[in-house]
Amino acid sequence: MSKPSSFSLRGRKALVAIKDERDLSIVRRQFERLGIDIWNGGFDHASGRHADVILIDDEFLPLNPTMRRTLSGAGSVIALLGTETPSRLKLVFELDPASFLVKPLRSAGIYAALVMAFERSERTNELKQQIVKLEERLRSRRIVLAAVLQVMHSHAVAEPAAFALIRRAAMEQRKTIEQMSAEIAAKGNLPRATG
Amino acid sequence: MTKPSIPVGIVCSQSGPYQAMGREILKAALMAVSEINDSADFDFRIAAHVRDPHGVIAEYHTVCDDLIRNAGAAHIIGCYTSASRKQVLPIVERTDRLLWYPARYEGFECSDNVIYVGASPNHNVLPLVRYVLDNISRHIFCVGSNYVWTWETNRVTRELVTAAQGSVLAERLLELGESAVEHIVDEIVRRKPPVVFNTLVGSSSYDFIRAFHAATTSAGLAIPMLSCSLCEPELKIVGPASAGCITSSAYFESIHLPENRAFVDRWKASHGETSCPSVDGQSAYVAVHLLARAIQRAGTADIGEVRRAAAGYRYDSPQGPVWIDGDNNHCVLTPRLAVSTAQGQFDIFWEADAPVKPDPYLSQLDVAAHPSRDRSSPNATHLRIVK
Repeated sequence: MSKPSSFSLRGRKALVAIKDERDLSIVRRQFERLGIDIWNGGFDHASGRHADVILIDDEFLPLNPTMRRTLSGAGSVIALLGTETPSRLKLVFELDPASFLVKPLRSAGIYAALVMAFERSERTNELKQQIVKLEERLRSRRIVLAAVLQVMHSHAVAEPAAFALIRRAAMEQRKTIEQMSAEIAAKGNLPRATG
Repeated sequence: MTKPSIPVGIVCSQSGPYQAMGREILKAALMAVSEINDSADFDFRIAAHVRDPHGVIAEYHTVCDDLIRNAGAAHIIGCYTSASRKQVLPIVERTDRLLWYPARYEGFECSDNVIYVGASPNHNVLPLVRYVLDNISRHIFCVGSNYVWTWETNRVTRELVTAAQGSVLAERLLELGESAVEHIVDEIVRRKPPVVFNTLVGSSSYDFIRAFHAATTSAGLAIPMLSCSLCEPELKIVGPASAGCITSSAYFESIHLPENRAFVDRWKASHGETSCPSVDGQSAYVAVHLLARAIQRAGTADIGEVRRAAAGYRYDSPQGPVWIDGDNNHCVLTPRLAVSTAQGQFDIFWEADAPVKPDPYLSQLDVAAHPSRDRSSPNATHLRIVK
């Protein structure tokens, strides 16, 4: 089975929205060298889903509704900046770019911008997954608290000992503390085996 | 009738930590200039303007600025380390000049204002590490100069050995020109790694090779050393201690090609019977010839026209056929592996069966490639063993 180098971008798909012909030809040449395919299916919602990365010129800002839809839920975005004025940068935030390039483009910088965008995107996805997990745990905290109170009452023990009993039961039954707490809260007591 | 003269800058350090290679590049470039100027095939002469940055990185920018402003050079041949090339890059891009860079380098660059005549990473580090993985060991001890050439070569090495379930046992770095190598040699003798990859540059490398040879001989160890840069003049500088180094290069003096035999004869006639051409010198020689042929074909020294004329044009050089890949301005050339001898030469034991397209971003690299499926591997069954 083949395995590209971890820094290889070969086979990635890019959606490109660049107005200037010279900048566009520089991007095309550099993408060819890197083995990146430019998605030719037009700038619509479907193409956004197919692209791993989107290069978008700040001249397209503010985005029209079609472009906005394309970008929602699409891959990493690299913004092409024509000016560094705060007014323009404020507009660029709308793209939530993972990386940027300054116009006029040259071949140097494009590879680094792509690698950083992919890395940023991967880290952001990891963080998002972690946030989902933490939110779930936060929601279940109320149930854990209810279960601890129930065990404290039924077994006449202090809070640390009640929690230890729940954790032990969860381990024995190969369940999470949150799952075990939900069962205790529903049944009103600890499972018999651990009582 | 007097031929018109075209100013060409030559930038190489004649002093400093890599002065030996700078001198080789200068000798070879001037030899090629002399051949062009004496040839009836060219309807112009090259006026060489030589500048010496003395191995001081900031000086490279200064001398190139002088060449462009005062000598009117549209084309500059030279630089040795990547650090020096990076100094020159902004000025050649801003003024739209063309740098003809002769040295092998680590890749991950592709300027429209540079012609990369030396080997790309898929020409040098890949064949060498693949050979080592299949024939010596999957565990490599790395020692190198603390700059981008070593950093990137070590990264690629790590990726390849890791994919082969091997490891980089250590990465030891020395500043450019540093000669305190004993602590690294002591560590090598203590740990007895199966193979050592040396990416040190210039005097640091010479000091290391001598100390390594003395210490391993004294300890009764036979640890192979690897290099992607060692060349014949350096073997002479280091002496007998340099024997046995497995080296990856596009050029060795021992290449059996009529173009190379004639080149070596001319070299020795110019520089003495005991003098040897080097890979970087030969590459500077190739750069001058590629430039001259492109100017002749374009009918102008204009850099856009010259770049177009150079792309894809085959030149039968001492190292074999070479041409510029118009897609990325890097050179298509033939990778080779050889082992250094006590006589200051290299025994070539493998070469690719055809010139290999440059892959400066290693975009085609398959780290899990099986040798029989990988045309750049010295272990591929369809490739020719030269010995």
